Amino acid sequence: MSPDKFQFVEQTGEDKESIRPSLTYWADAWRRLKKNKLSMIGIVVIILIILFGLVGPSLTPYSYSDQINKYKNLEPVLDLFEIDGTYFHVSNDYNMFVLTSEGVLIDRLNLNPLKRDVINKVYTYDFGDEEVILDFSYNLLPTKQGYDYDFTIEYHDQVVSEPTVKKLNKMFPFGTDGLGRDLLTRVMYGARISLLVAFIATLVNLFIGVIYGSISGYEGGRVDNVMMRIVDIINSVPLVLYVILLMVWFRGGGLTNIIIALSSVYWVSMARLVRGQMLSLKEQEFILAARVMGVSKRKIIFKHLIPNAIGPIIVSMAMMIPSAVFTESFLSFIGLGVSAPMASWGTLANNALSGLTTYPYQLFFPALSIAFTMLAFNFIGDGLRDALDPRLRKG
Amino acid sequence: MKTYYLKRIFSMLITIILITTLTFAMMHSIPGGPFTRERPVPDEILRALNAKYNLDDPIIIQYLNYMKGLITFDLGPSYSKIGTTVNDLIYSGFPSSAKVGGLATILIVVLGIPLGVISALKQNKPIDYFVMFMATLGITVPSFVIATLIIYFFAGKLGWIPSFGLSTPASYIGPVLALAGYSLSFVSRLTRSSMLEVLRQDYIRTARANGLTELSVIGRHAVKNALIPVVTYVGPMIAAILTGSFVVEKIFAINGIGRYFVESVSNRDYTTIMGVTVFYAVFYLIMVFFVDVAYALLDPRIKFKEGK
Repeated sequence: MSPDKFQFVEQTGEDKESIRPSLTYWADAWRRLKKNKLSMIGIVVIILIILFGLVGPSLTPYSYSDQINKYKNLEPVLDLFEIDGTYFHVSNDYNMFVLTSEGVLIDRLNLNPLKRDVINKVYTYDFGDEEVILDFSYNLLPTKQGYDYDFTIEYHDQVVSEPTVKKLNKMFPFGTDGLGRDLLTRVMYGARISLLVAFIATLVNLFIGVIYGSISGYEGGRVDNVMMRIVDIINSVPLVLYVILLMVWFRGGGLTNIIIALSSVYWVSMARLVRGQMLSLKEQEFILAARVMGVSKRKIIFKHLIPNAIGPIIVSMAMMIPSAVFTESFLSFIGLGVSAPMASWGTLANNALSGLTTYPYQLFFPALSIAFTMLAFNFIGDGLRDALDPRLRKG
Repeated sequence: MKTYYLKRIFSMLITIILITTLTFAMMHSIPGGPFTRERPVPDEILRALNAKYNLDDPIIIQYLNYMKGLITFDLGPSYSKIGTTVNDLIYSGFPSSAKVGGLATILIVVLGIPLGVISALKQNKPIDYFVMFMATLGITVPSFVIATLIIYFFAGKLGWIPSFGLSTPASYIGPVLALAGYSLSFVSRLTRSSMLEVLRQDYIRTARANGLTELSVIGRHAVKNALIPVVTYVGPMIAAILTGSFVVEKIFAINGIGRYFVESVSNRDYTTIMGVTVFYAVFYLIMVFFVDVAYALLDPRIKFKEGK
């Protein structure tokens, strides 16, 4: 074969191997996390909720415990009845309010105690020198059935039964509760409490669980056996029972008590996870190398083992936060929550329960907040799992 | 196998003793005792009460008495409901709790698994998105919110179901749905992901290549294997249903154990708290034990190793 049958290939640079810039573990994880739209939405939502809880309460003119007695149980959307240029609103517990045409509350009208006819269900309110008459006997008295409205308002001899216009409550965007407290402020304050409890409890759980699990896993043998038996025993009963017992033992609510109760129980799942990681990691060569070089036990655990198990730890931490929010609201709901007038989302929901049929909006906002937070953290957790721990990636 | 079960039963007994001791110690170390009220009770009455309930004995005697009572299923008197024992409360509450919890479990299995299978088979189709959307909602919305929403819409606005009690068959709908919600969502999500995993396996392709009907491939090969991880969820599910009942029974005003427990927590009725906690713990342990036995029977690959 003669050499002139061959020809040189021109160098185009096309087949040059393209080298990606090398990424650190975190940069790579972040790159993967950024691709996950739901996780990014989750992160944005959580940041908004944190801001909502941190900054929000100072932006409203009320504090979480301020009671404005005359504005109890006001809804977020008000029905306005316009009569002769004056706007009235009747609340579900038959209080009469005067408002501007834009829905800003001016004052509550005083019920005239002498003209409070409970039998015929007609109330008369004083409005300056004049009177406003509220007849709410419709559909309540057996003689007045089948109306499509429940009350009429009479003012200046004009009777109105249909609301003129619906306006958003400008003073209390989320309405007020049964003690006249602004619900927006309370929901924002509740965000602060709920998230604070969740974050601190999760951090403590992380701390205890990681240390407990890594000691148990690294030591192995009898130490491991005893330590895991303890975890098994704790884990053999629904964890909520321990939390309830602890809360009873603390004699009731209080922020610190909830945090202590939550963080003294939920570390067991973290300990198990970390132990499992340790068991497989400690058999690897780099640990053997470290041991041969005489690195101390403590240093091996903290410098070599834990950093290598950080992915699953972070994923499980991201899942722990929503379940702490969940448990906290559950505790508050069965009456073991933060003490009044403090509010978490759970206590707000619990307070709303008694008046549910009349004031459903009082449940709506705290419930929505819990659901949003849970959803956002779940999305973040799923995304983190895909980003940090490719082995666990879902199909 | 036999030694495994014996070991399990033995460790269950140890756990029960430890939990009872822990509960006892906690309830008896609360300062003030069960008859401390905001208005102090006169000393003589307090002494008489303490004598009546044997609270003047040394703590170790009280503990031994309590353990003795436990063996004979006597959980002692209730401190705040005069004249009733904790046993009475459990006897009267358990049937309603068990009925609602049992129906919820059936609903979870009968509805959750098929929904998961369907959405795995129709992956990324509208029905899959719908089922997963509902399942995500079910996991993120707490049961007390689901329960109150059910009351508000179906009992209040529409009037389809009664809002409290368990008097008619229709009145079971609300509590069962609220109780099942979380686990139902969880089971359908779990079934879906495990089903997707199984459908990618080689033996499914082999089954198809062998010309089996789609029904046989899915029903006999895929679903059966996909259910193994789902069965492991049953233990936590029992826990979710037990603790869920606190909230659901409170909201729907069902006279079940969960409601008595929550009431006793707010009344600081220590014997009831203690008795019901122990009852729950024992019940839970026994249920999980049965689940493990069933699991071993279902999945022949699982062999219990010694010392595990």
